[in-house]
Amino acid sequence: MAVKLDGTIAELLSKDPMVIKNQKTWYHMHTYGGWSKFFQDLQKGKLMGTRCPNPDCSEKRIFLPPRADCPDCWARTEWVEVEPVGKIYTFSEITYPGELFRAEAPVHLISVEIEGVATKLMSYLWEGTPEFGLPIKAKFLTENPTNTILDLCWVPA
Amino acid sequence: MIKFGAGNLRIPHFEKPVFAVAGGLTDFRKRNPEKNTCELCLEATRMAVEENDLKVSPEEFRRRVNWCVYSQFADHFGDQLLAAAKIHDYLGFDPLGNIEVKTGGATGGSSVLSACQAVASGYADCVPVVGWERMDEVTTKVGNSYIASAACKDFESELGWMYAAYYALMAQRYQYENQVPHETLAKIAVKNRLYAYYSPYSQNPGKYTIEDVLNNEIVSSPLTFLECCVMSAGAAVLIVCDEKTAFELSDNPVQITACCGGTHTLRTADRRDMEILLLPNETEETYKDYKTGRRKDWPGFSSFLAARMAAYLAYNMAGIKDPVEDLDVLETHDAFTISDIQTYEDIGLRPYGQGRDFVESGDCYMDGRLPTNPSGGLIGSMHAVGATGIFQLVEVLWQLQGKYDQFHGTEGLWTRYGKKKPDDWNSLQVKNAKRGCAISHAGTGSHVTCTIMERA
Repeated sequence: MAVKLDGTIAELLSKDPMVIKNQKTWYHMHTYGGWSKFFQDLQKGKLMGTRCPNPDCSEKRIFLPPRADCPDCWARTEWVEVEPVGKIYTFSEITYPGELFRAEAPVHLISVEIEGVATKLMSYLWEGTPEFGLPIKAKFLTENPTNTILDLCWVPA
Repeated sequence: MIKFGAGNLRIPHFEKPVFAVAGGLTDFRKRNPEKNTCELCLEATRMAVEENDLKVSPEEFRRRVNWCVYSQFADHFGDQLLAAAKIHDYLGFDPLGNIEVKTGGATGGSSVLSACQAVASGYADCVPVVGWERMDEVTTKVGNSYIASAACKDFESELGWMYAAYYALMAQRYQYENQVPHETLAKIAVKNRLYAYYSPYSQNPGKYTIEDVLNNEIVSSPLTFLECCVMSAGAAVLIVCDEKTAFELSDNPVQITACCGGTHTLRTADRRDMEILLLPNETEETYKDYKTGRRKDWPGFSSFLAARMAAYLAYNMAGIKDPVEDLDVLETHDAFTISDIQTYEDIGLRPYGQGRDFVESGDCYMDGRLPTNPSGGLIGSMHAVGATGIFQLVEVLWQLQGKYDQFHGTEGLWTRYGKKKPDDWNSLQVKNAKRGCAISHAGTGSHVTCTIMERA
C-alpha cells in the first residue's frame, strides 16, 4: 500500500538558495509549580512573597519574586503577605518590545524597591510618569487577568 | 552566596599549560541564507586550520584532534536539537568525543574554558572549539523574544520580551548613581563601529559621529539603536592544545594563562547587597565612601558580580596586578554602551563609579593605554551569540601573534566576503602586544568568563 501524504507543504520562501517556511504553532504546558500561589493571589488583589523560617538562616527578609526554597540554607520557605507599596528603584520606557509582548508600546518598565524585601521586583507602571524614588502602590488586574506577571502593575501612590 | 568561604575564592590552576594556536572566522551578516549552519562552521574551521601558518597539513591536523567543544547559545534559533552532532559529523570528527556547552551570551567563553579544562587535565591535547549562531531564521522581533526567553520567563520575560529593556533598567540606575554624559557612552558606539570599519568580518561598520548616536531612535530609554549590539549569523573557531602539540603545530602559539568563570542571579531583581570583592589593584580604602548618597548597594543594578568574580579569579591566576598596565589589548562584551562602562569597573580598569574615565582619558583607544575592542566588538562587528566569545579570543590571538594585518588587511579576504577593502583602511595591530584579555558575558550578568592570553 502506497504512503499517503497529508497534503501540507513547507511553503517556499526563496528558490535559490532554497529557503522553506517551518511553521511552529504548538504551545507549551508551563507550570508555575510551587510559585502558583503568587500568581493565584495576584488575581485576589494580594501581593505574596516568601520568607525563610529557619531560625539559623541569616536572610530574614522577604523574597519577591518568591522562592519556594531558601537559596541560602535550602529550607522550604513560607508565604507572607507583602504590603503592596514601594518606590521606583529604576525605570525605562520600552519603545520596541519583542514578539509576544501583551501590551502596546511604549510602556514604562520599573524595578520596585519594597521595605523588608531583599529583592527588587521587575514590573511596569500602569499610568503616570516614573522617577527615581517615586512612591507607588500596586494595582492588580483582577478583572481580566493574563495569568502572567503582567497581572501586577503599579500606579503613583 | 553573599558571604564567601575560602573554598569559594580558591584560585584555579591548570595542571598542564594550555595554548591556542589558530583561529578562524566567517564573516558576520544579519542574514546568510546562502550557507547552512554546517557550512558556516566548516568555513571557520577551514580558515583556522589552513590559513594560520600551521606546520601540518589539514589532514595531519585532523588526525591529531582528540576532543571537540561546541558552542551554541540557543537551540531556539537553530531549530535543531543536537546540532553539535550534525556539525561534528560535517567537520569529519566522528567518532571522537565532544561536548556542547551552553551559558547564554557567555557560551563562547565557557566553551573555551571547557577546552582548557580538557587540555589542562590531560584528558585531551588538541581541541577545536567551534561556535556559531544563526539568528536569521526568524524576524528580528521574534529573535528578541527568543533572547528574552533567556530572562526568567515566570517573573521577567513577559515584561517586554526584550533584553535591551532589561539592560536599560540597569543603565538608568547606573546613570542615576554615576551621571555619565550620554556623549561618553556615544563615544563607545562610535569607536567600535569605526574599528569594525577596518574588519572584513564585520556586520555593522561605519563612520558615525557622536551626534548620530545621540539623535538615533530609542529602543528602550536611554539606549539608542546605535548603542546596541547586532544580531548575526556566523561562526568562529579556536584551536586549543597542550604545550607539545602547540609547538609542533605552530611557531608562535599563545598561552592561555587563565580562563575563569563567575555567575550571578538570572533575575537582576534578586541581587542582594554585599561587600565588594576586591581585585589586586584595589583596597578597602578604594571603596570606603562608595555606598553613600545615591549608591546604596553593591552590586545593585550598576555592577556585574559575575564579571568581578571572573576577573578576580583570572587576574590572580595569571598574576595580573593592574589590568590597564599589565594588559596590551582587551576585547569586552559590548552588548550595550553602558554595560561596557559597567564592565570596565567590574574588571578593575577603573574603580567602581569611575568607569567613564577609561573612555574620557583616551585609554580605550588604539593610541591609549589599553586598546579595547579593535575587532569592532558586538556593537560594530558581530554577535552570533555562540560564536562571540570565541571570535573575541581569535581576535586577541591574532593581535598577540602580530597577525592583525594578515587577517584584516588582506585584499582577498574582503573579496571573499563580497566586500571592497576601504581605500582609507588602517591597521589596528597593537604594537608588540604581549598579553590580552577577553570578557564573555551572558544575561544581565548571569555568567561571565575572563580569559587571559600571553605570547609564549
